[in-house]
Amino acid sequence: MAEDKKETEKIARCAMCADMCKYSCPTYLATGRETLSPQKMARLIVYDEKGFLEDEKDFLDLMFRSAMCGACRKHCIYDDYDLRKFIHRARAKAFAKGVIPEDVRKRVDTFRKFGNPNGERELVDKGTGDTGYFISCSSYKDKDLLKATEKMLSKSGFTIRQFGGDDICCGAPLYYAGDVEGFKQASLKMKAEIEGRHLHSIIIDCPTCVRMMTETYRQAGIGLDVEIMHTVQFIESLLKQGRLGLRKKHASVTFHDPCILSYDLGLAGMPRDIITALGFNLKEPVYSGEHTHCCGGAYGAKIGDHRLKDAVTPMRLNELRQTGADIYVTACPTCKSVLSEINMKYITELVVEKIVAKR
Amino acid sequence: MKVKTYMSGGGILPPGFIDRVRQIVGDEHFSQQESDLISYSLDYWLYGVFLSQKGDLPALPSAVISPASAAQIQAIVRCAGEYRVPITPFGGGSGVLGGAIPLNGSVVLNLQGMSRFLDLDELSLVAEFEAGIMGANLELELNHRGYSAGNVPQSFFCSTLGGWISTRAAGQFSTKYGKIEDMVLGMEVVLPDGNLLNIKPVPRRSVGPSLKDLFLGGEGTLGIVTRATISVHPLPGLTVKQSFILPSIEKAVDVVRQILRAEARPAVVRIFDEAESERYFPGIGRKVVTIFISEGETEYTTLDARVIRRISRESGGKSSGEEPVDIWLQKRFDIGLGPVLMQYGGIVDTIEVSALFKDAAKLYRDTVAAMKAVEGALEVSGHYSHFYREGACLYITFAGIPKDPLRYYQDTWDAAMKATLQNNGSISHHHGVGFWRIQYLEQELGASGVRLLKSIKSALDPEGILNRGKLIDGGR
Repeated sequence: MAEDKKETEKIARCAMCADMCKYSCPTYLATGRETLSPQKMARLIVYDEKGFLEDEKDFLDLMFRSAMCGACRKHCIYDDYDLRKFIHRARAKAFAKGVIPEDVRKRVDTFRKFGNPNGERELVDKGTGDTGYFISCSSYKDKDLLKATEKMLSKSGFTIRQFGGDDICCGAPLYYAGDVEGFKQASLKMKAEIEGRHLHSIIIDCPTCVRMMTETYRQAGIGLDVEIMHTVQFIESLLKQGRLGLRKKHASVTFHDPCILSYDLGLAGMPRDIITALGFNLKEPVYSGEHTHCCGGAYGAKIGDHRLKDAVTPMRLNELRQTGADIYVTACPTCKSVLSEINMKYITELVVEKIVAKR
Repeated sequence: MKVKTYMSGGGILPPGFIDRVRQIVGDEHFSQQESDLISYSLDYWLYGVFLSQKGDLPALPSAVISPASAAQIQAIVRCAGEYRVPITPFGGGSGVLGGAIPLNGSVVLNLQGMSRFLDLDELSLVAEFEAGIMGANLELELNHRGYSAGNVPQSFFCSTLGGWISTRAAGQFSTKYGKIEDMVLGMEVVLPDGNLLNIKPVPRRSVGPSLKDLFLGGEGTLGIVTRATISVHPLPGLTVKQSFILPSIEKAVDVVRQILRAEARPAVVRIFDEAESERYFPGIGRKVVTIFISEGETEYTTLDARVIRRISRESGGKSSGEEPVDIWLQKRFDIGLGPVLMQYGGIVDTIEVSALFKDAAKLYRDTVAAMKAVEGALEVSGHYSHFYREGACLYITFAGIPKDPLRYYQDTWDAAMKATLQNNGSISHHHGVGFWRIQYLEQELGASGVRLLKSIKSALDPEGILNRGKLIDGGR
């Protein structure tokens, strides 16, 4: 009860702030719509809870127009506050009432049928050892990335067990759809998949999976006794071991910071260290690092409404194109897919040829 | 709608107007959805924010229109003139005097979709932007290219270039870089008759009265600024931070006066009274702290800092090092206490006024004393910022937990404005008038001044289409 009151006070404060984080909000910036700014979303959530709104459908639909990227949390003047928690709560309400957007509904239906957001797929389970490489749902669809990863893992000399496909998913699509119970079941299943393989650490390409399996599972009361590592952390460990061939390259590289990697995982510096260590000339976009903008990754199910993605993605593409770099690189398979127009590569694809094979 | 309005409700728009506007901007950019009407109902007028907790909003717009170009704005303004539909321009919505509240059933013209960086002329040191760009993003664009606009108001993260121009805004680094009127060289404005005015960017001109000054502080009543060219500065090569403890406000003001008289131009100068020093710098406590930031080209900056140090020490100032400056830099955007106090029934607001040096210290004493005497007052504190060779801006923050919130709010403002006028000060330094300060306008400008402003408004906007109820005509 006291906890509820504390949480209510937090969002009520946000609803009376001057919107000090809105300059960083990608959905607000892409649409120029005040209503999508974090403080206005907060005010509407508070008004909904107090019964001040008449058009609940309009309100609930709006809750699926957040990128859930965490820019507002990163730039919040208050500590210990995350608007996304309250947006998620509103989505859960929408889900319970059966008024979720069509895009989201389809994804949930696919998930219910196949246990993942992609549809029917083969199980991948190969290799041995207590270090795992989890093939995220967005990595699974990316043959080039899988090929590069295979090569990287093989050259690294570590014994690594790869698993994914079939119905193995962290549950993020259900979480973002507001399906609280479905997400809980999916996360318990994921926990069983990990425990069944007796893994001590897992490498994952997808920042959203990493966040889900750490922070979000913890908040849902599901503890994983395993170290979760993003791929850039694994590559950085190779760099520290002197396993990357550091030859001077003349090509320029722009790194697109995936929102969750930068805002939630705090790993914006690592990919830059890797890219510059390899000798590439790093060309930063105006909005990078702690000022990055979400790609509009509807495939990751964070944004429930494709119309919003249609506004956010062109904005981000335009920001990245302005660097005029030779190569565009990211560290999220969803971002890679969404930003494919500029031939985006996953960082593994950039470094794989530079790994010095272990003898 | 379940929310309540206490100034004016939404109006009913003529169907012909709705059809025409939908054709101009497209269906997606015309909204009468509840969520949009609520979101554009209020800016950052703090008494309004206080009341918004209970679902009480000052006014609801009759629609929200989001244009993508000056041409669309021209067409909308013409259409509004034809149907006599009032328009409230809405930039960042960070104004604290209610300038963007959609009174009289007006439609909101949402300018936030026009936010592009357009051009940087490194030779001439000017850059052009669309007016809807957020301050922080304008600065990120410039910093990326090695420049800065030097305009950093506390609303930096939520106000727009157009808003800065419309309110005659000033930033924390203004003593060196100037205020917005010193920065704007050219602008594009949609006039109330729908015509487009292009004021080309030049360093100065002598062709009659300065037309751009009609819109610098025009608060959207005389035209809608759609793009502007502003001066920029190379990023500083050296930054020197200094702070001094002085025995009194009077002494501190005099030290800064001497420093500016000696031609030093620190970017930041702030004198905090005892209450603000205690809040910002608990390690120092209830003392008068003055902070300085000198920045720019290395040689000049070194000299600037030396002059500040010498004069401060000669006048009895005790150095308190860089730390207070770093603390201020860290806390300067933290407005978090206001909403917390409001949750507990507190009324919070800020008032900024200006005066010549001869009146500046007494202005502080009298204003703070008068505001503290109002029943329900909890805290009144002040700092000086935005200095000139001739005087300064006094910025006062007040908070109270009164039995009658509106009475307390009105009486505190009345007390501050009265003390300011009695000390030959101006009732506003950089927040503008909005609707709330209209009640003090005649005391500031005199009857002739108000008549002149009204004549200008009538000549440009005879139907009163643009931002009705703000700056010039009554609206309370």
